[in-house]
Amino acid sequence: MTLMNSKPMNLDIKQLFFHLSLSLFISYSLSAEEKKESIIEKKNSNYEAVVRIENSSLNPDYKTPWNSGRDSGGNGTGWLVAENKFLTNAHVVSNSRIIYIKKVGDAKPYRARIVHIAHDCDLAMLELEDPSAFEGVKPFDVGKLPQLDTKVKVIGYPIGGERISITSGVVSRIDFLSYSHTNVDLHLTVQIDAAINPGNSGGPVIQGGKVVGVAFQGYSGNIAQNTGYMIPPPVIKRFLKDVEDGNYDHYVDLSMSDFPLLNPSQRIALGLPNDGIGIMVSNVEEDGSAGGILKTGDVLLEIDGLTVKSNGLINYGGEDVNMNEIVERKFAGDVIDLKIWRNKQPMNTQVTLKRFMPYLIAARKYDEKPRYVMFAGLVFQPLDRNLMAAHNMKSLQVRYHFDSYVSSNIYKERPEVIVLTSILPDSINSYFNQFTQSIVDKVNGVKVKNLKDVHLALSKNDGDYIIINLLGSGRPIVIEEGKIEEAQKRIQTKYNVIKDHYLGPIE
Amino acid sequence: MKQFSYTLIISISHLFICYVDSFAASAEKSVIRVNTTMQAFNLIQPWEKGAASTRLGLGAVLPNNKVLVTAQMVTDATYIELEKPDSSEKTTAKVLTVDYEANLALLEPSNDKDFLSDREPFLLNEKLSPSDELEAWQFESNGTPVSTKITVSKAEVRKSFLDTSNFLQVQANGPVQYRSGSFTLPVAKNKKLAGLLVSYSSKDQISSILPTSIIKHFLNDIENGEYTGFPNLGIMYSQTLDEQFRQYLKLGKDDGGVFVSKVIEGASASGNLKSGDVILEINGHKIDSRGNYVDDVWGKLKFGNLVRGIPFTGDTIEMEIIRKGERMEVSFELIRRPTEDYLIDPYMFDRGPKFSIIGGLVFQELSVPFLKLFGNDWRTRAPIKLLMAHANPEMYEKKGNKKLVIMTRAIPTPATLGYERLSTLIVTKINGVPVKDIKDVHEASKSPIDGQHRIEFESYPKLIFLDASLSSRLNKALEQRIGVTQRLD
Repeated sequence: MTLMNSKPMNLDIKQLFFHLSLSLFISYSLSAEEKKESIIEKKNSNYEAVVRIENSSLNPDYKTPWNSGRDSGGNGTGWLVAENKFLTNAHVVSNSRIIYIKKVGDAKPYRARIVHIAHDCDLAMLELEDPSAFEGVKPFDVGKLPQLDTKVKVIGYPIGGERISITSGVVSRIDFLSYSHTNVDLHLTVQIDAAINPGNSGGPVIQGGKVVGVAFQGYSGNIAQNTGYMIPPPVIKRFLKDVEDGNYDHYVDLSMSDFPLLNPSQRIALGLPNDGIGIMVSNVEEDGSAGGILKTGDVLLEIDGLTVKSNGLINYGGEDVNMNEIVERKFAGDVIDLKIWRNKQPMNTQVTLKRFMPYLIAARKYDEKPRYVMFAGLVFQPLDRNLMAAHNMKSLQVRYHFDSYVSSNIYKERPEVIVLTSILPDSINSYFNQFTQSIVDKVNGVKVKNLKDVHLALSKNDGDYIIINLLGSGRPIVIEEGKIEEAQKRIQTKYNVIKDHYLGPIE
Repeated sequence: MKQFSYTLIISISHLFICYVDSFAASAEKSVIRVNTTMQAFNLIQPWEKGAASTRLGLGAVLPNNKVLVTAQMVTDATYIELEKPDSSEKTTAKVLTVDYEANLALLEPSNDKDFLSDREPFLLNEKLSPSDELEAWQFESNGTPVSTKITVSKAEVRKSFLDTSNFLQVQANGPVQYRSGSFTLPVAKNKKLAGLLVSYSSKDQISSILPTSIIKHFLNDIENGEYTGFPNLGIMYSQTLDEQFRQYLKLGKDDGGVFVSKVIEGASASGNLKSGDVILEINGHKIDSRGNYVDDVWGKLKFGNLVRGIPFTGDTIEMEIIRKGERMEVSFELIRRPTEDYLIDPYMFDRGPKFSIIGGLVFQELSVPFLKLFGNDWRTRAPIKLLMAHANPEMYEKKGNKKLVIMTRAIPTPATLGYERLSTLIVTKINGVPVKDIKDVHEASKSPIDGQHRIEFESYPKLIFLDASLSSRLNKALEQRIGVTQRLD
């Protein structure tokens, strides 16, 4: 499920999370305290299958998209899930350049590569180029969702020392929460009170010798104590199932938002019995799974045969869980049965699930080279969260398009919103500074729907002038065609812009 | 620039009667103390007024028993008092005409028609020019007149009171010491009124003065019958400094010109100028590529003075323009688009915000003062959809909106259960009826559907319901507690 358009209160919480490993360096002071483990648990522990993962990353700079980016690095934990298949968090190996895996009691780093990476659920699968070092090591089994108030232990390589660390605690809470890696995804999450620290990310949480979670995020100590989160088995298993065919196909989404039926007037007006059942449909994204099937004011009564309560929970396997749990277990193309209430009577309908790409505008993106067009010193880039963060966008137009891209159906008119993000000063553009952080409407009379449109329209030279119309500004940018070629060369040399455009992996 | 208001509010109790030597005779007879008590409405709880505050300033006595002050002196005034500086004799006064945009107001005593008969009314000194010596008149707290000399340096077209209104202002140099009750100061040249000093920067020792040309415009407008206010052109424009742009627009070497980037509906230019036009000349004055004309006295001034400062509504303006590469003359009548016609009121004084409460949900018409509740950086902190409506009112005007009605908040009541967290939502329909202004909210609330109010918003949660009979009972209870549950006019 994607976060966008859901209740704003979720947004407050997610900003408080921190990633457990990446970008946080490990201090080398030795910890005097050793965790004591019971002998029985130790026998079940399979430390050899828990590995330290070291990632050297290259983080793109959206301000200078033609540059290769900044070198950075970090370390986390991973574990053997099958023969030569290691599981860790996506954020441990994001934007990676080189990955090494280290085995317990073995100083030698082994070169690894990513097989699958799922940013939407913060999981990744790695394999070794040469698996021989792990021959005979037994992979972990993935267990069931642990019960509340049962004991678990966390194994990993967190901050505080070089060697493996074990902490233990109990399952404190099971909830449906935001995954901070992308900032837009919500999934089932288990909170535990075992100490989870930077470096634990990707590490296994063990109960009865089986993996019942992947440690992945927590709160900074000055916000909440003993509050660590792990990715539970349903999410892990879904990922493993999804990649069985050799491809990761992502989560699917109903692409709608709901509003609880807490006010008696809502029930009376909608003609519903006062039985505490049903949740109202608020926004429905036209191009999403439920578009054209559900509409504002419908009430969801049942989802795949399970009753939806007025707070959006269903009883699934004896537990009250968010109704989105049903959608969470499904894959693209799967059908979901809905019983809804419309025009004061019940009716049955079906929704075929798919991804809803426009939500991604708000997601942090990884492993992608920033796309851009640099023309006469003007830098054009498609709008997304990475761009917003890099450029400290103040412009109302840009903020509105980012904020309302889905809710005002902007995606239908402009699949990509192209922003004039910055200007590399040159005599050809000396009066253009007022236009930075504007949105491109048309280039040479052609309406711009994506970055490629900008590139194509700018490459055509059939007039004396290049005319660029910006949204909300009646004054167009006018550039003399005859001056461009020379200026382009001059600017590329002066500002060391190796390539004047990058439109994406398929050109 | 520091506004006088920050420092000069001093309690009236310090003023007492005393006898003074006649130092500048016309100062004590032509300048009068104006003491106002002001109380603005609370925009979050629009049924209430905020705390009262006092503002002490000086006004210029004019013929026919009138007193001229800045509009800022009397906005949201609940009580206005005139006080003779020499005798401390007082009387209550009322506002005859106020123009918030030009920042001028004309007062007269409410009852005592002869109150000003022993005063010496100011004459207007019409011509001001650089290096003129002016006198700013104030009084010591004991009533002794004080005169400060300042020297005119230049003039600019800039904002004074409202950040949306630009008018000619004269700058003068020289230290001005604050005296109590000097929120605005009349300034004189050769004992004739030369303007009102509206702000003073103690750091640079620069005074900004609203000159007589604007005052005269204001007074003439009043004399000519019904006050219509200063005309507005209603365009947005850009400079044409960029040589590439000039060539594209086919502007010659000797041409200046400003590019019309947007024409606002309902003002003078609407239907007469088009986006894409270039204005070369206004009433015979060449406009340069920065948007200035050359004034005989002041030199380069923004062309706005040719539109707002000099002509009256009803006058014809003549322009030379370039449209689609063709030079042409256009002339049209200047009008003033009334502020009530704006989708989002740019300011709101001397009246309460319009609102209507249904069962605890508070509906209001969006205004700039409301947006400013989000703090000094309201342009980045206010909800984006509201800011967008403010920047692009045509988005809603196209749909027939007269005003933008928002549900500002939900007072927790039994009827608003579950809606407590909703706020600043743009309302589209109530009970199936499109909401174009606050009156529509009130009208629509009379016809609930099957006993329930159906309220639709532009964004999440899109649709909520309120129990109609419970709401009207709660409205009655709220009325007991807060006095009124609506203000529609």
